[in-house]
Amino acid sequence: MAESKNTGRRYFLRFVSMIMLILSLVAAETIAESSRLLPVVPDYKLTFPHDYGAHQDFRIEWWYITGWLETADKKPLGFQVTFFRYATDQNQDNPSRFAAKYLIIAHLALSDPAAGKLMHTEKSAREGFDLAYARPGNTDVKLDDWTLVREEDGRYQVDMRTGDFGLQLSLTPTQMLMLQDQNGFSRKGPKPEQASYYYSEPHLSVTGTVFRQNKPVTVNGRAWLDHEWSTAYLDPEADGWDWVGANLDDGSSLMVFQIRKKNGGKVWAYAALRDVSGEVKFFNPEQVEFTPTRTWKSPHTDAVYPVEMHIRTGEIEWQLTPLLDDQELDSRQSTGAVYWEGAVTLIRDNQPAGRGYLELTGYVKSLAL
Amino acid sequence: MLELINVNKAYAEGRKVLTHLTYTLKAGEYVAIMGDSGVGKSTLLNLIAGLDTPDSGEIRINGMAISSLDDDAATQLRREQFGFIFQAFHVLPHLTLSQNIALPLLLNGVPTDRVEQMLADVGLRDRGHHFPRQLSGGELQRVAIARALIHRPKLVLADEPTGNLDPDTAHEILQLMRTEIKTNGATGILVTHSHAAAATADFVLNLTKDGLHPVKSEHSE
Amino acid sequence: MNSASLSRWLLFGEWRAHFVQMIVALVAIAIGVAMAFSIHLINTAAFNEFSAASKSLSGQSDLQVYGRKAFFDESLYPLLANTEGVALANPVLELDVVVPGKLQNRNDHKLKIIGIDMFRAVQISPDLLGLTEEGKTLDRLASDAIFLSPAAMEWLQVEQGDSLSLHVGLQTITLRVAGGLVRARAGQRIAVMDIGVAQWRFQQLGLLSRIELKLKNVVNHAAFKVKLAEQLGESYRVTEAIDQEKRIANMSRAYRVNLNMLALVALFTGTFLVFSTQVLSVIRRRQQFALLRVLGFTRQQLLRQIITEGAILGVIGSLLGLGLGYAIAATAIQLLGGDLGTNFFPGVKPSIYFDPMAALIFFLVGLIVTMLGSIAPALEAARAKPALALRSGSEDVAMAKFSPPWFAVICLLVALLFTQLPPIFGLPVFGYLAIALLLIGGIALMPRFAAWVFSRLLSQLQRYRLSAVFTLVLARLANAPNQAAIALGGILASFSLMVAMAIMVTSFRVSIDDWLGHVLPADLYVRAAASGDQGGFQLDTQKAIAELPGFDRVDFFRTQQLSLDANRPEITLFARPVDRTDARNTLPLTDDRIAPGALPGNVMPVWVSEAMVDLYGYRVGEKVTLPIGATFSEFLVAGVWRDYGRQFGAVQMQLADYQRLTGDLSVNTVALWLQTGMTPDAAIANLRQLPFGAALEISRSSDMRALSLEIFDRSFAVTYILEMVAVVIGLLGVAASFSAQTLARAKEFGMLRHIGVMRRQIFAMLAAEGGLLTLLGIVLGFVLGWGISLILVFIVNPQSFHWTMQLHLPWGWLTMIAGIMLVSAALTALLAGRQVVSGNVIRAVREDW
Repeated sequence: MAESKNTGRRYFLRFVSMIMLILSLVAAETIAESSRLLPVVPDYKLTFPHDYGAHQDFRIEWWYITGWLETADKKPLGFQVTFFRYATDQNQDNPSRFAAKYLIIAHLALSDPAAGKLMHTEKSAREGFDLAYARPGNTDVKLDDWTLVREEDGRYQVDMRTGDFGLQLSLTPTQMLMLQDQNGFSRKGPKPEQASYYYSEPHLSVTGTVFRQNKPVTVNGRAWLDHEWSTAYLDPEADGWDWVGANLDDGSSLMVFQIRKKNGGKVWAYAALRDVSGEVKFFNPEQVEFTPTRTWKSPHTDAVYPVEMHIRTGEIEWQLTPLLDDQELDSRQSTGAVYWEGAVTLIRDNQPAGRGYLELTGYVKSLAL
Repeated sequence: MLELINVNKAYAEGRKVLTHLTYTLKAGEYVAIMGDSGVGKSTLLNLIAGLDTPDSGEIRINGMAISSLDDDAATQLRREQFGFIFQAFHVLPHLTLSQNIALPLLLNGVPTDRVEQMLADVGLRDRGHHFPRQLSGGELQRVAIARALIHRPKLVLADEPTGNLDPDTAHEILQLMRTEIKTNGATGILVTHSHAAAATADFVLNLTKDGLHPVKSEHSE
Repeated sequence: MNSASLSRWLLFGEWRAHFVQMIVALVAIAIGVAMAFSIHLINTAAFNEFSAASKSLSGQSDLQVYGRKAFFDESLYPLLANTEGVALANPVLELDVVVPGKLQNRNDHKLKIIGIDMFRAVQISPDLLGLTEEGKTLDRLASDAIFLSPAAMEWLQVEQGDSLSLHVGLQTITLRVAGGLVRARAGQRIAVMDIGVAQWRFQQLGLLSRIELKLKNVVNHAAFKVKLAEQLGESYRVTEAIDQEKRIANMSRAYRVNLNMLALVALFTGTFLVFSTQVLSVIRRRQQFALLRVLGFTRQQLLRQIITEGAILGVIGSLLGLGLGYAIAATAIQLLGGDLGTNFFPGVKPSIYFDPMAALIFFLVGLIVTMLGSIAPALEAARAKPALALRSGSEDVAMAKFSPPWFAVICLLVALLFTQLPPIFGLPVFGYLAIALLLIGGIALMPRFAAWVFSRLLSQLQRYRLSAVFTLVLARLANAPNQAAIALGGILASFSLMVAMAIMVTSFRVSIDDWLGHVLPADLYVRAAASGDQGGFQLDTQKAIAELPGFDRVDFFRTQQLSLDANRPEITLFARPVDRTDARNTLPLTDDRIAPGALPGNVMPVWVSEAMVDLYGYRVGEKVTLPIGATFSEFLVAGVWRDYGRQFGAVQMQLADYQRLTGDLSVNTVALWLQTGMTPDAAIANLRQLPFGAALEISRSSDMRALSLEIFDRSFAVTYILEMVAVVIGLLGVAASFSAQTLARAKEFGMLRHIGVMRRQIFAMLAAEGGLLTLLGIVLGFVLGWGISLILVFIVNPQSFHWTMQLHLPWGWLTMIAGIMLVSAALTALLAGRQVVSGNVIRAVREDW
C-alpha cells in the first residue's frame, strides 16, 4: 500500500495538476473554437430549478460550498466541498460508454484548528455508468460514493466520506438566491465574453455529521453555496484570483473577488453586499481593493499567501483573519492542485462582522505551466 | 667392440665430468665400472646408450659412431643391440611377466618363442602370466635381466642393478646376470658402487677425473 | 617444524609440480559451476522480469476479475464498482493488435495495447499513465492518442507526435503517438490508450478484458474473493496477484525446469571431471602419501592434508565459476535475450540480478563435489598399508575400490524402476533422476566393461603377431581399466548426453515436420487482425474470398482463447470444418479416438490435444462441458490429437457447432487449396486485389513450415550450446586424466625409450590409447545416450510438455560427432602426453616418483 502511494506520488509530481489544468484551459488560448460549447452571453435569464442542474453545453461548471461549523463542544471547524463538471470536448462521436466526454472532479477539505492544518482529499472520474454524473434539471452530482443533491424543498444533501475523514451534511436555505453581477451574468474581465453565469446561496443553515479518524461528530453551522458555469472565463493576462464569500452576522452577505494581472495590478474585480432585506449593493472594479496585511509561507510548497487581507469595497473597510494559517490545499501528491482555501473571520470597521471563506489561487508560480 | 675416443662431457652448468676419456672394450668382455659419486658413471652409460651426446670425441660401437646418429637411428641401435638393467627394475605393471620380457622381441618384430626359455633361465618358470605386483624385488630384477637379454643384444648396460636389493638377493642376481651375459655372448658394462658387485665382472675399471683405469684384482673381496 | 608448515609445503610443492593439472581441475570446477549458475541466473532474471512486467500491467490491485473468454461485457464494471467492500474498480481492455509493417515477422508482429481509464488506473497502476506534452494532460483522453513504452517506440520507430497505423480487422486506423510510458520496464513493449477510445477505435464496444479491484481495508480479502466468485458464477474467474504469478510461473515452468536440468547435466559432467581429477591426483601420489605415513604422518593428518587441498581447489574453482557464470549469463542475455531465443518470455528485457543466496548454493555445490572427489581417494590413501602402497603398480587396484560392480547394477536397476513412475507436480522428476542414475551406473560399470572388452581384444588378436606398441596399448587398457575408465567417464557422460539430446531434438523435429504437414494441408492461409471478440472476417469478406477464382477448397477457422482453470494458462479453441466421415483427414489424431462412424449423431464432438488429457483429465468417450456460447455446453471427446503448438491445451470442434452455439459467424483464418495450374503468387495477387486486400496477412504453408522449424531450431539453440560445453568438459577430462597418467607413467616411457621405443611410437601409443578409449566411450555413450533419449522422448517430454513424438535417430549427425570426438580425444591424449615424452628420459628412469 505504502509503496503504491509512493509510486503515485512520484509519478504525479511530474504532471500538471488537474485543477490547474482546468483553470489554465479555461483561461487560456484553448478557448473553444468548438462550435458545440456555448458562450456566456449577457442577456440570458437564469431559470430555476433548471439552472440548479448541470449545463452540459458549457465547458466548466462547479458547485462550491464553504462554511463554518461548530461541534457540540463549541469547537469551530471550516469545510469546503466542490464538485466540478468539465467538458473535455473530446470523443463527441465515440459511441463507447467509456467515452470521456465529461469529467467530474470533487474536492473536500476540512479546517480543524485542533489539527493545525487542512485535511483534504479529492477524486476525479469520467461521467458514465451512473458511477459519476452531473445531472441537468436540478443539482444532482455524483462521483462514486460522493454525492451532492438538491432536494425538492431546496435542501442540499452532501455525503462525502473517505478513508479517515468526511462529512454528511444537510444544508437548508434561509434566504433567497443571490444572482451575482448582472442577474447572474458575472464578468471576469474587460472583454464581454470573459464571464460566467453565477449565483450564490448564502446563509445556508447546516446540520449533520463530520467524521475525523472515522469518529462521527455532530455539527451545525452556516454555509455559502456558489454555482457557476462558463466556457471562456479568464483573461490570458490573468495570474490568479482572490475571492471571499462571507455570511455576515447581521444576515447580510458579502462576495468580493479580484482577478490579478500577471505583473501586478488587477484584470478585473467585483463585489456585492446584500443586506438582510435583500437590497444588493454592487461595486465596480475601481471600487474594490485588496491589500495584503500579513503573508504566510507554506512549508509544503514555499508559496507565499496573503492570509490576512485588507479589503476595501467602496467606503467599507474589511479585515480578514484566518481560522488557521495552514489552509493550503496541496494535492500535488494526487491530482496536483495547490491553492489556499480557508475559513476567515471578518472585521468591518473594527467590529466583528461575520465569517466566511477566502480563496487564493495562482500563488504557486511553478504551476503556471 | 666399444671404442671411447677422447670423449669430453660437461654438465649444462659447465662442470666437466668426463675429460679426454679414451678406452676400448673388446667383444665378450664383462666389465665393472666404479668410481666416486658424481664422477660421471651414469653419464658415461647414457653416452654409450646414445641417450646423450658427448661435447667432443667419439663413441663407436662395432666401428659405428653412435654419437653421430640421430635419435631414430640411435633408438634403432638400442632396440637391436642393447640391453638395459635399471636399479628401479622398471617392469611395466600392467603387462604380464611374459609380455614384459617379450617387449624387445616385439619391438624388433621377431618371434617371441624364446620367452618361456628365458623365464626358465632366470628362475621364473611357469610364472609368465603373473603380473609384476605379485613379485618381490629380486624377482622383478630377474624379469628385467630376462628382458635385457631376450633379443641377444651385443651390449648390456646395467646401472646399479642391485642397489635396491638385499645382499643375498643381490648376489644371486649378479651371478645370474653374469651367467646370462656370458651365455648370450654379450658384452656387459656394470656400473656399481659395490665392490662385491664389481667382483662378479671380468675386471674392474675405476672412473676418475683422469679417465678409466684398471683396478688390481686384489682390491676385490 | 610444525605440521602446518609441512602441510603448506606439501600443498605448494604439489601445485608447483603439477601446475597444469591444478589449472585443469580449477577450470573443470569453474565450468561446471558456471554453467549451472548462469542458467539459473538467466532463468530467474527472465522469469522475474516477465512476471514484474505482467504485474506492472495489472498494478497493485487486490483482485482481478476475468471472463472465461478473452473479453466480457462491460456491464459488470458498474456492478463491481458498486459492490459493497470495493474501494475501486479499474476496468481494463487489453488487445494484441497487428502492426502492418511487422507482418513478415509472424511470431512477433503484435503490439499489446492496454485501454485504461486514467482516473481509475492512477490508483492501481499509475505506471500506465502516459506522459503527455507539457500542459496537455487531457491529451490522454484524445480519440487518436496512443502512448508507447520506449521499447515499443524503438520497435515501431516512431516518436512523440508521429502517426502510427494499426490493423483492426480488415481496416487500418491511424493513431497519433501522444507521448511515452516512461515507467514501463526496459524492453517491455506496450501501448496505452484511453479505454473509451480503445473500445471505439478497435471495435470493441461494450467489452472489457478484466476488472481490477481494490478492496476497502476493512474487508476480509479471502472471504470477499470467495463470495464474489460465487456471485459471478462460472462465466467469470476471480484471481489474486498470487494466482497471476502462479499462472505465469506455470506457463514457463516446464521450459525453465528443463533448462535447469540441462544446467545440472553440465554440472554433473563437470562434477565427474572434478571427481576424476581429484581421484587421479591422489592416486598418483599414493607412494608419496605412503612415504609420509612411513615418516610419521598420522592417518588424520594425511586425510586432512588431502581434504584441505580439495577444499582450496573447490573454493577457488567455485568462486571462479560464480564469476564466469555471471559473465556468461550477462552476455547470453545481451545476445540472446532472457528466454535464450525461445520466445517463452516475450517482450521483456531482463537484467541479471546477483542473488547471494543462489550464489551461495552453487558455490557450495561446487565445493562439496570437489571435496567428495578428494575424500574418497583420501580415505583410501589413509587406509592403505604404507608398505604395499609404496610399491608401484598398486594404483589400479586402489582405484577399483571406487567402482564396485554392485553399485553400478543397483543404479541401473533403480533407473529402470524410475522410468515407470508418474510425474511429480507435473514435472518429470523421476525421468531426470533415471537419466542421472543411468549415467552414474554406466560410468561405474565402465572399468569392468573396458577391461573385459580390451582383454578379449588382446587375447583375440594375440594369435596374429601384434606390434609391440599395440600390445602395450591393449595390455594397458585391459589390465589397468580403472585409470582408463576415469578418462573414459568424461567422454561417456558428455557423448551420451549429446546423443540423447540429438536423438530427442531430431525426433521432435521430424515429428513436428510431419505434424506441420498435417496441420497445414492447404496451400495458403489468410488471416485478418482480430477485432476483439470477433474474428477478422465477417460474412461478406468470407464470401468475397470464397468467390475468388482458382481455389479448389476454402475452409474457415475460428480460433479463440478459453479459460478453464484460473491457475492455468488459457486453452485455445479451434472451430473448423472437421471431416465427418473420418476426423483423421483433418486432424493429426493419435490412436486414442472413437472409430469413424461410431460417433453418435446427437452429440457435438470435440477433439482435444494431448495436453487436455494430461492437464484436464479429458478422456475419449467422456462428456465434457465447455464455456462456448452464452452458457456451458456439453460435448463428447471424440479423439486426441498431437499438438506441438500449444502446451497448455487446445480443443477442436466443428465450425457449424460453434456457429450454432454462439451465433458468431466471423472467422479468423481462411485456408485455401489452389486449383492445379494456379500459382500461389497469382492467388496472392488476387487476394490483394480485394478491397480489404492490403490488410490481409497471407502466408504460404511452405513458408509457415519453414518458419516454424526455424523457431524450433532457435529454441533449441541453447541446448546445442550446452551440449558443446558438455563435450568440451568431456575433452577436458580426457586431457586431465591423460596428462595426469602420462606424468605418472614417465618412468614407463623412460624405460621404453631406453629399450628402443621410438619417440613417435610413444606418441602413437598415446594416440591409440586415447582413440581406443574414446571409441569404446563413444560406443557405450551411444547405447547409454539412446537409453536416455528414450527417457527424454517418452517420459520427460510427455510429462512436462504434454505431447508425444516418434523416435528418430540422426545417424549422419551422430557419426560426424563421433568422428570429431574420436579425433579430438586422440589428439588431446597425444598433446597431454607430449610434454612428458619430450622430457628427460634419463631422469625419468632414475626417479622413484
